[in-house]
Amino acid sequence: MAIKFEKVSHVYSDGTPYRYVALADVDLELTEGKMTAIIGQTGSGKSTLVQHLNALLLPTSGKLTVLDKVIEAGKEQKGLKALRGQVGLVFQFPEYQLFEETVLKDVAFGPKNFGLKEEEANEKARQAMAMVGLGKEYEERSPLEMSGGQKRRTAIAGILAMDPKVLVLDEPTAGLDPAGTKSMMELFRKLNKEYGKTVLIVTHDMEQVFAYCDEVVVVENGKIRVHTTVEDFFRDSTECRKMGVLPPALITLKEMLRDKGFKVPEGNLNIKELAKIIAGQVKKHG
Amino acid sequence: MGNFTLGRYIPMDSPIHKMDPRAKICAMLLVLIAVFMPAGWLGYGIIFAVVAGVILCAKLSFRYILKSMKPMMFMMLFLLVINCLVMKTGTPLFTIGSFVIYSDAITQTLYIVVRLLLMIMITTCLTATTKPLEMTLGIEDLLKPFEKIHVPSHEIAMLISIALRFIPDLIDETTRIMKAQESRGVDLKEGKFTEKIMAILSLVVPLFVSAFQRAEDLANAMEARGYAPGEKRTRYKVLKMHKRDWILLCGAFALLAAMIVLAYFR
Repeated sequence: MAIKFEKVSHVYSDGTPYRYVALADVDLELTEGKMTAIIGQTGSGKSTLVQHLNALLLPTSGKLTVLDKVIEAGKEQKGLKALRGQVGLVFQFPEYQLFEETVLKDVAFGPKNFGLKEEEANEKARQAMAMVGLGKEYEERSPLEMSGGQKRRTAIAGILAMDPKVLVLDEPTAGLDPAGTKSMMELFRKLNKEYGKTVLIVTHDMEQVFAYCDEVVVVENGKIRVHTTVEDFFRDSTECRKMGVLPPALITLKEMLRDKGFKVPEGNLNIKELAKIIAGQVKKHG
Repeated sequence: MGNFTLGRYIPMDSPIHKMDPRAKICAMLLVLIAVFMPAGWLGYGIIFAVVAGVILCAKLSFRYILKSMKPMMFMMLFLLVINCLVMKTGTPLFTIGSFVIYSDAITQTLYIVVRLLLMIMITTCLTATTKPLEMTLGIEDLLKPFEKIHVPSHEIAMLISIALRFIPDLIDETTRIMKAQESRGVDLKEGKFTEKIMAILSLVVPLFVSAFQRAEDLANAMEARGYAPGEKRTRYKVLKMHKRDWILLCGAFALLAAMIVLAYFR
């Protein structure tokens, strides 16, 4: 099993008046090779959860297994840097981490830190830039002069160049325009389906969860409320609403149609299939 | 970064906390001058007793003040060494190797240490009991008379309050960027010298970029709300001197006068 949390807790500022329990006895097993969405309200513990995955935060109690690495609370940790190369974590608004003179240098910074030689690192960087859709003409540009969307791509390429097995993204599309969001999400799906990377996305956008992800984890008050497939998750929309989750438009539409007496089959349909079914039934009943 | 005690405001409900910041700043300056009067040990004893009284009155813990002394320890040790090397007056006490340590070296160092201790206690009395915002209001008011010689008192106060307001933000930003770079394999603890330089660079450049960005955003937001530095402004919070503030000021004056008298008759 790739990623396994066993009774993991994380307490901030323990022993002071500012003590805050961000994660409480979390048990979670994430499936390798899937694209999983992590959802939950602000302050629910999502960010704390994902920062455990590459050992930026260590559990204050419990046991965590990531790939081959076992991290137990209270034990001396070694080899965390190697883990960070295998689990690429992209923070929210990652464009703030850019600092090099040229885009190529910045993207190659990660692989170089993990011991690759200049040439190899540059090669990895070029591949990563191509993946995010930054052509050769950007290589010598200053990252600070690019547009917001391009900066975001550069920062994500900087993580991809490390060639991680697991890619963790904290709200990767926040603040991007709809076109940018779409191409970004399609890139993550491609990385998951074609390159076989395990992808975890923290997001607030249910349309994204519905359209791109395989599984959903709902975090609530530092605990895992639900961990299931996307299909099962959106099947019962009253359950969703109870958790403060607004189901995607397509699901809502299907429910409204059912209420009005249309026969809508179970399972995830895309908008075209649904339109066909409605048109067919409308014609039949005139 | 949370163990930074020197100069931090500690919210408490005490008469000292409620005093007018202008009175507190003036009293602090007067007592600081008193510390520098050569009034001997008796003088220091009196000042210590008074300041300790104020600390008790403000419900501050002595442990907290001792904790804020910690960064000074190194400096005191350094002073002791320098004094021992330089001072050649008084009675020789003992010898280390070929060095003779004189009694004046020890007493001089003790004087300086006691002065430093008193200064830290006095300034802590001010900073721990006065909100940063009140402090800037007080500074602005106290600088008002100097406007005649073109000291921009309001601008100085605004600068201080903006700087103070951004400290926690910048600390947050630093931890954020540190984590982001650590995710890219930066090792801030280990690594070769060149790697460390690179690690610091990867932290400092983004920090500067975001600080400038914040500054520009803030400047635009202030301008959008019609802020103009030179204009006359009214205040939401108006400072007013009460009886207790005058008592504090008189007390500080009396202490200074006593020290001057003591120094004169010594």
